[in-house]
Amino acid sequence: MSVDWIAFITVFVAALTGTILVVALYAMGVRLLVTAGRVPVALPAEFTDAITVLSKAEIKQASKRAAKAAKKNPLTPAQKGLARAGAYACFALCAAAVLAGIYLIVPFFHG
Amino acid sequence: MDATFIVILVIALALFFDFTNGFHDTANAMATPIATGAMKPKVAVTLAAILNLVGAFLSTEVSKTISHGIIREGGDGGVQITPELIFAGLMGAIIWNMLTWLLGLPSSSSHALFGGLIGAAIVGIGFTAIDSGQLLSKVILPAVLAPLTAGLIAFLATRLVYAMTRRYDGKPDGRAGFRYGQIFTSSLVALAHGTNDAQKTMGVITLTLVAVGAQSADHTEPQFWVILVCALAIALGTYVGGWRIIATLGTGLTEVKPAQGFAAETSTAATILASSHLGFALSTTQVASGSVIGSGLGRRGSKVKWGTAGRIALGWLMTLPAAAIVGGLAAWVAHNFGTVGLIIDAIVGFGAVLFIYLWSRRSKTDFVEAAVADVAESAFAVDIPEEIEPKPIPARIEARLEAQAEAKAEAKAEAKAEAKAESQAAKNEAAAKAEAAAKAAAAAPSEETARSEAAGTESESNEGDKR
Repeated sequence: MSVDWIAFITVFVAALTGTILVVALYAMGVRLLVTAGRVPVALPAEFTDAITVLSKAEIKQASKRAAKAAKKNPLTPAQKGLARAGAYACFALCAAAVLAGIYLIVPFFHG
Repeated sequence: MDATFIVILVIALALFFDFTNGFHDTANAMATPIATGAMKPKVAVTLAAILNLVGAFLSTEVSKTISHGIIREGGDGGVQITPELIFAGLMGAIIWNMLTWLLGLPSSSSHALFGGLIGAAIVGIGFTAIDSGQLLSKVILPAVLAPLTAGLIAFLATRLVYAMTRRYDGKPDGRAGFRYGQIFTSSLVALAHGTNDAQKTMGVITLTLVAVGAQSADHTEPQFWVILVCALAIALGTYVGGWRIIATLGTGLTEVKPAQGFAAETSTAATILASSHLGFALSTTQVASGSVIGSGLGRRGSKVKWGTAGRIALGWLMTLPAAAIVGGLAAWVAHNFGTVGLIIDAIVGFGAVLFIYLWSRRSKTDFVEAAVADVAESAFAVDIPEEIEPKPIPARIEARLEAQAEAKAEAKAEAKAEAKAESQAAKNEAAAKAEAAAKAAAAAPSEETARSEAAGTESESNEGDKR
């Protein structure tokens, strides 16, 4: 009776690497979007039976704050454009990381 | 009893189990995006069903763990498991599952399945039927380690997400953006669910086919039609279960903020996918719960509520042995009374299902809440204060913010001084002009022109003041 401890370490390292990569890239994307003056504001839920975490009034307030922050953005248009491009690049890399992870575990792709 | 009939019965029962699994676990994947308004319920449930279907095709490692690993089948001097015992094991799992849902106990349908099969095999054949090394390394240790792994990773990921998006200047931090991210992470959880949970049923059906000699014990890959029907059963269960769960979403999930939910779901999906690849048969519910607790602890000022956490852990620990006892009992009846015993098992099992179905129709909400409770309840195992002190600003960032504020104040003061000087200059100019005009008026004989000119300059100087 032998236990393959290496397998557990593999799962831990693989899951940790994948999670940190995806989470860090997405968070960086959000951060850069905010830097570029495009603060994401969640839409209100359009159905009645779910829990709406943000009410319409809260959304309005958040949109107002976002618009105000965008107006006061100290960056030049070129810098803003760069930040936005960086944000999109982060989101794209994040998606690529997820697809690469799935590619790795599907035997179909490895013959 | 005819062997073919038993095989068909076992397959039908296994597919029913698969269906209830999907039915039960939709909430794990899709409750958060629905609750936070990131996705419409119809879209979310349909997507979850499709991804479960796709996930079932992605990997077959977990299925091999069950059909080839834990329970020794024929060949190389091993013991022969019979379809009757598998039937008894499945019955044990289903009865235990129904019981825990009815009582609202935290449970895991996967562990119920393992427990039932193991109990039936031990009672029907003896301890030699179980490969204890495989059982330990592919089921029991993953059951303990996977939720801890997912929890630790979720904890680190939550810390990272909050640190990366924190703003000290009080401007909006854009964390609502994680709601959109949650659409993708919950889709990944649904996919991961398919790669692990649909496999378990495939493993059971393959094991049955091997037991009756319809499939060689050396090739325990599930056949294509087995993969297809299992994938369809779990997808259908997911789709049907979603409607009931949406109607009564628990409040526990509102405790989970978008950024935190994003980190937790990524951790859940990554842990399940990596485990599926190595053939670890996990409880997806337990991994998801571990992530929710871990990410809750990643938020500032949070504390574990040991009472709730302990109750959840106790439910988990109980599932496998309890289902083993029920499965063992079912196997004992089938073993000692032959065909009559099987019929007794079937009647008791279907009776339990029917009773619980009728019960659930009578008190709809209780039943569904019990089904949702598993992951949602784990959110209650962590106490997160509503209002917390803002995080102390690190010296480096404070200095920068101060410098920024200073520069801003300086610029403001400068602009003010400039404006003042300008208006003063305009005033002086206007006064000088007025003086000149007055002089000119004094020199000129016509009074009327002088007055109108003076009025003109006056209004001009007013404008200068305003500026």
